[in-house]
Amino acid sequence: MNRLTGAAVEKDFLSRVIEESGQNLLACLQCGKCSGGCPISSDEVAGPRRLIAEILYGNKRQALEDPTWWYCVACGTCMTRCPVEINMYRVATALAEMAEEEKVPPSEPDIHLFEELFLKSVEKYGRANELKVVMNFNLRTHHPFKDMGVGMTLMRKGAINPGEFLKGGRAGERVARIFSRISSKAQRKGTGE
Amino acid sequence: MKVSYYPGCSLESTGKSYDHSTREVCGALGVELQEVTDWVCCGSSAGLKMNRFVSTALSGVNLALLEKEEPGEVVAPCPFCYRRLASAQEEMRQDPKLKGEVEEVIDAELVGSLKIHNLVTFLREKVGLEAIGAKLKKPLAGLKVVPYYGCFMVKPQQVTGCGDTENPTSMDEILAALGAEVLDWDFKTECCGAGLSLSKTDKAVELSGRLIREAAFRGADAIVVACQLCQANLDVRQGQVGKEDNKQYDLPVIYFTQLMGLAFGLAPAALGLNHHLVDPVALLQKKGLIG
Repeated sequence: MNRLTGAAVEKDFLSRVIEESGQNLLACLQCGKCSGGCPISSDEVAGPRRLIAEILYGNKRQALEDPTWWYCVACGTCMTRCPVEINMYRVATALAEMAEEEKVPPSEPDIHLFEELFLKSVEKYGRANELKVVMNFNLRTHHPFKDMGVGMTLMRKGAINPGEFLKGGRAGERVARIFSRISSKAQRKGTGE
Repeated sequence: MKVSYYPGCSLESTGKSYDHSTREVCGALGVELQEVTDWVCCGSSAGLKMNRFVSTALSGVNLALLEKEEPGEVVAPCPFCYRRLASAQEEMRQDPKLKGEVEEVIDAELVGSLKIHNLVTFLREKVGLEAIGAKLKKPLAGLKVVPYYGCFMVKPQQVTGCGDTENPTSMDEILAALGAEVLDWDFKTECCGAGLSLSKTDKAVELSGRLIREAAFRGADAIVVACQLCQANLDVRQGQVGKEDNKQYDLPVIYFTQLMGLAFGLAPAALGLNHHLVDPVALLQKKGLIG
C-alpha cells in the first residue's frame, strides 16, 4: 500500500514530471479518453488516466512502479484524443529517467531488458543489429528457442540473413559521445555532485 | 525529382523487402533516392522511452547529416524513424537549451528547417496519383485489400500533421489508383502491439489478433501495410492468433510498395514478395497478378 507521508520530495515530484516531460498535467480533466483508447490498458495495466492521477496526488512511488509507462508503445493515441493535448509518451520518458536515477527496480523487467539490449546495440554499432538483440533477449530470458520455427522459415525464404549475426561495425564518434555523456551524467549523480 | 533517403536499421534487416520495393518503385517513378551517408539509428522506441537526450541527439546526428545534403528534404519509409526525425526537429525548435546541448555533443549546428516526409504521404502528395496512374501496367483487379496505417505515421496529430487520424485515406487512394478493391474497415490506425512483440508477446498477439480477425471478417484477401514492424507483427503472430481461434487465417501482409511495384509490372522477386511468412505469391497467382 502506498500512502503519502507529506515529505517535501512528494510535493516536488509533480513539478519535476511537468518540467521534464514538458506536459502540463495540471490541465488534465481526468476524462479518461486516454485510457479508453490506450492499446495497453487492461485489467492489469491501469493506463494513462490513472497514472496521471497518481502523479497529481504526488504518489511518487506508485507512479514510478506503475507498469503503464513501461508498457507504453508511444502510439500517440492518447495525445491525439486528449482535450488538453497531453503527450503521455513524453511523461513515460520522464518517469523512466527518474526511476533509473533513483534505482527503482523496473516493474516490468522484460520490457526493461529489451530496451537496454536494443540501446546497447546502438551504442556499440551505431545502428541496431535486430537479430542480435532478439537472440540476446531470448537467451537472457531463458527462452533460447522462442520464435525459432518462424525464424528458420524466414531464413529459408531469404527474408533474414544469418550473416547478420556476424555483422560487426563500430559506432562513430558522435554516437559514442552521446552515450558517454549520459553515463558520465549518471556517475556524477551517483557521487552526489 | 531527387530526395534524401533515410532507410533506418530495420530496412537493412527484417524489413529489407520494404527497402527493396521502395527503391524499385521510386526508380520507376523517376524519384532519385539519395541515401544519407553514415546515418545512425534513431534510437527507436527504446531510446524514446529510456532517455530523452539520447533519443533527440541520435536524430540530431541524422538531421545534421541531412541538412548538408543537397535535396533539402528527406523521405523515411519507417514510420517510427519518420516521426522521430520530425519530432526531434520540432522539440529542439521549441527548446533552445536542448538544441544547444545536442549541438555541443554532436559537434554540429542545426538549422532546423528540413522537410521530413513519410513514404505514403510523399508518394501521395509529392509524386501524386496522376504520375502513379501513368505507370500502371497490370491493374490489381479483383484484389480485395484493407489498408493498415498503424500509429506512428499518423499519431499524434500534433507531430505528424495528419488530417484525419481515425480515418486516413492517402494509402486507400494509392491502392485504388492501382486498381485494387479497397475495403472499408474500422482498424486503420489501431495498434498492432509495436515494440512489445518480443518482451510482451501475449499483448502483441492480442492486439494483432484484433486486426487479423477484423480484416478476415471484412473479406479481405490481404492486409496492406506501410511499416515493417506492423508487417512483422501481423505476419509472424498470425499463426498464434489462428491457434487461439482454431483456424488458419492465411492473410498475407504486404507492403503497399510491393503492390505498387507489381502493378507497375516489376518482377515479384525484386520486390521481395517471396519473403513473407504468410505467402502472398499463391494469392497473387490465383488472382492472375503473377504469372
